[in-house]
Amino acid sequence: MLSIDKYAYNNLLAKWRPEVKGLLWLFGMIIAFQPIMVIKLIAIPTVAIATMWAVKVNFHQYLKWFYAVIPFIALSIIGIAVTLAPRADQVYGGIYMFGNYLGVAKSMLPLAEQLTLRITTAIVCTYWFALTTPFQQIILLFKHMHFPSLLIEETLLMYRFIFIFVDSFEQIYRAQQLRFGYANLRLSMHSAGILVKMLFEQVIINYQKMVYSLDAKLFTGEFTVQEDKI
Amino acid sequence: MIELEHVNFAYEDQPILKDISIKLGEEGQNVIGLIGQNGSGKSTMFLNLVGILQPTSGAIRIDGNTYQYDKKSLNELRQKVGIVFQDSEQQLFYSIVKDDVAFALHNLGLPEDEIVRRVREVLTQLDILQLKDRPIQYLSGGQKKRVAIAGILALHSEWLLLDEPTAGLDPDGTRRMIDLIEGLSKNGQKILISSHDMDFMYEIGDYFYLLQKGEIVRQGTSETVFADDEILKQCCLDQPWLMQLHQKLGLPLYSSKAQLFTDEQLITRLATLK
Repeated sequence: MLSIDKYAYNNLLAKWRPEVKGLLWLFGMIIAFQPIMVIKLIAIPTVAIATMWAVKVNFHQYLKWFYAVIPFIALSIIGIAVTLAPRADQVYGGIYMFGNYLGVAKSMLPLAEQLTLRITTAIVCTYWFALTTPFQQIILLFKHMHFPSLLIEETLLMYRFIFIFVDSFEQIYRAQQLRFGYANLRLSMHSAGILVKMLFEQVIINYQKMVYSLDAKLFTGEFTVQEDKI
Repeated sequence: MIELEHVNFAYEDQPILKDISIKLGEEGQNVIGLIGQNGSGKSTMFLNLVGILQPTSGAIRIDGNTYQYDKKSLNELRQKVGIVFQDSEQQLFYSIVKDDVAFALHNLGLPEDEIVRRVREVLTQLDILQLKDRPIQYLSGGQKKRVAIAGILALHSEWLLLDEPTAGLDPDGTRRMIDLIEGLSKNGQKILISSHDMDFMYEIGDYFYLLQKGEIVRQGTSETVFADDEILKQCCLDQPWLMQLHQKLGLPLYSSKAQLFTDEQLITRLATLK
């Protein structure tokens, strides 16, 4: 299960108006993309602490949520900073290969630093928004901002069914694991193939069942999103 | 009343329902049970009754009108006959309980205050008003089932079709399901239930149809359908335990567990055995 979603419903800011949270997030994005570095350096710990306070998690747990994005950030930073240069003094820690020096480019380093700060600020702010805003509020915010209804419906259904999908994935994976399906690399490849195939088959079967129940609920082709009145 | 007249249904030349002629919803039959083992054709029959599948031959009539399969007629039919499928996950589309319950009502194009009124009413009726703002993915199986039922009940349909309503429920969930069905039937709701949970069916049903390999092999009240152990065995089903007590131990035939345990006469007689 995607437990990260639970925090959005049970946090100190859950009842705040989504517009306020949306504006604060936008403000965070502006900070992330403006040029003054010091503001970002202040914003990152401030927002991080605010998130941990509102969501009531410790630093260790908070850091764990970054594991998912760190590989992507690392890859893009490495791609920018590490380079092949013809002269040794153009790079830090140069290794001589193929007549060039492989290392961190001196000219690119400031850019890499800027980028790291910008990305981190943006992620910290987005985590704050995602962790404090229940999905329902995000949809209402979209609606207030007059997003196209196709996009809203798509988001709505994806959110609902991603949990079912992750659940099926976990069930199949666990069953395979219990029967030693991932004991070595060769078996793992094979099991992963079966897993994907089974998920695909389930999607088709579930699709048919969903069509039936949409029929039973007199589906007209539109998923309505309503303000909170009930 | 729903009437089936010589209904046959085949899937890729494989007959699934064979010459079924029954009348559902006669006087005094509010809760009707369709019993049969897995693969006997119960779910197919349900899909035929709501017009999702069309009989290969024969006709189905509701209140005297033969089913038509154009969009408008089907829409009218499904307002009269609501169906709740076995798997709750596949019929809940919204992420929040109250939104999902309101879904069919929005599709009907009802005015907003009517939708609010009906959703509150049905959530209260099913005792899940406190769940109205909860995300569906964090509900228990029994709660999801209730939300799925609420979404259909809100339509105020004359008929409610429940496909295996106790499948996957814990004892508490099953008990609540019994209470719910009894409550609904008291309000005049016509309910058709498919199940192979024999004790559950015995307690709540007024009239039963026994389905075996796509044929109705027996029909009647609980005394007639459940009394024949032979035919139940042929259908790979068990006799309800209250019927077994009656037939094998010679106790009176009780209609429910509660009735058995409050029978003073029996309790006094059993006390003398000690």
